[in-house]
Amino acid sequence: MKSNSIYKVPDGKLLKITLEYNKEKNLIADLKITGDFFAYPEEAIELIEDKLRNSLLKRDALIEKINSIIKENQIEFIGLNAKGLADGILMCLK
Amino acid sequence: MIEEWRLLITEDNSAYTNMAMDRAEIVSISKGNAPPTVRFFTWKPRAISIGYFQSLREEVNLDACRNLGVDYVRRITGGGAVFHDKELTYSIVIPESHNQIPKNIMKSYSRICGAIIKGLNQLGIDSSYYPINDIIASGKKISGNAQTRKAKTVLQHGTILMDVDVEEMFSLLIVPNEKIKDKMISDVKERVTSVKDILGKNISFNDVADAMKIGFEDEFNINLNLGTFTEEEKDLTDKFEKEFFSTNEWNNRR
Repeated sequence: MKSNSIYKVPDGKLLKITLEYNKEKNLIADLKITGDFFAYPEEAIELIEDKLRNSLLKRDALIEKINSIIKENQIEFIGLNAKGLADGILMCLK
Repeated sequence: MIEEWRLLITEDNSAYTNMAMDRAEIVSISKGNAPPTVRFFTWKPRAISIGYFQSLREEVNLDACRNLGVDYVRRITGGGAVFHDKELTYSIVIPESHNQIPKNIMKSYSRICGAIIKGLNQLGIDSSYYPINDIIASGKKISGNAQTRKAKTVLQHGTILMDVDVEEMFSLLIVPNEKIKDKMISDVKERVTSVKDILGKNISFNDVADAMKIGFEDEFNINLNLGTFTEEEKDLTDKFEKEFFSTNEWNNRR
């Protein structure tokens, strides 16, 4: 399945997600994160897209996974955060 | 002793050259081969720049750009799509370790925007920083800004709108929903202003540049001396223009 979302992060920027997912297993197959937010270093966004492949499409698990990637790689978001990113991804399922 | 920084004024360059110049400065300044640098510039042909994380095809109406002779380029900074038309664009490149630059990214936005606010004040315009990355005057956006940090060096660039044509801007950008296009145009007209709007007259690029020079000098307590690119920077500008900013690979990468 392939789906898109446009999500205004609360107090943040406009996030656009393109998601391919396995409906039976509820897993992310492929993910593209675009929008007018900021992330430092910028190349980290591709890393996040890679690391979220095969993640479970469940809010708490996603937030935890995103936070651990952020921490491990010393990524700083401005206008976006782990919750916002998880909610933008899950909005593709609606 | 008052610190001496370099001022570059480069009018009428292409989008690719302009973005390559910023990146060339990052390399030379990160190596200590040039002092902190402020550049004021314009775009010819007119161009749209998109933020690093944006999708070119989702944001920019490429056919409309071709028809109107407008170029497009992906920036190395995040943020949104900007139509660079009647504006002064600035960039500042400075080592992250410089004592005038806060380590905290949001604080450093605010600090650098302080120079623009002081510059606008020279023109008789009251304005203030509006987080995350805007400056507002009379409650409306007059300047947008974007920052990146690479090689322990800060690049912040941004626009000071001198005049704005919202209809033309929207003809070049993709509007998610055509049905609400008119509403979006009227909303943006309500939210965006320009030097001309506020002062009721046209101000030249040179006058805005003179005001911004004073703004940077006051904010950072420095002298800005008009200079030129180093040979290294000229070579790097050519290289980055050819290998990155003018290529489909770069501009379509997201």
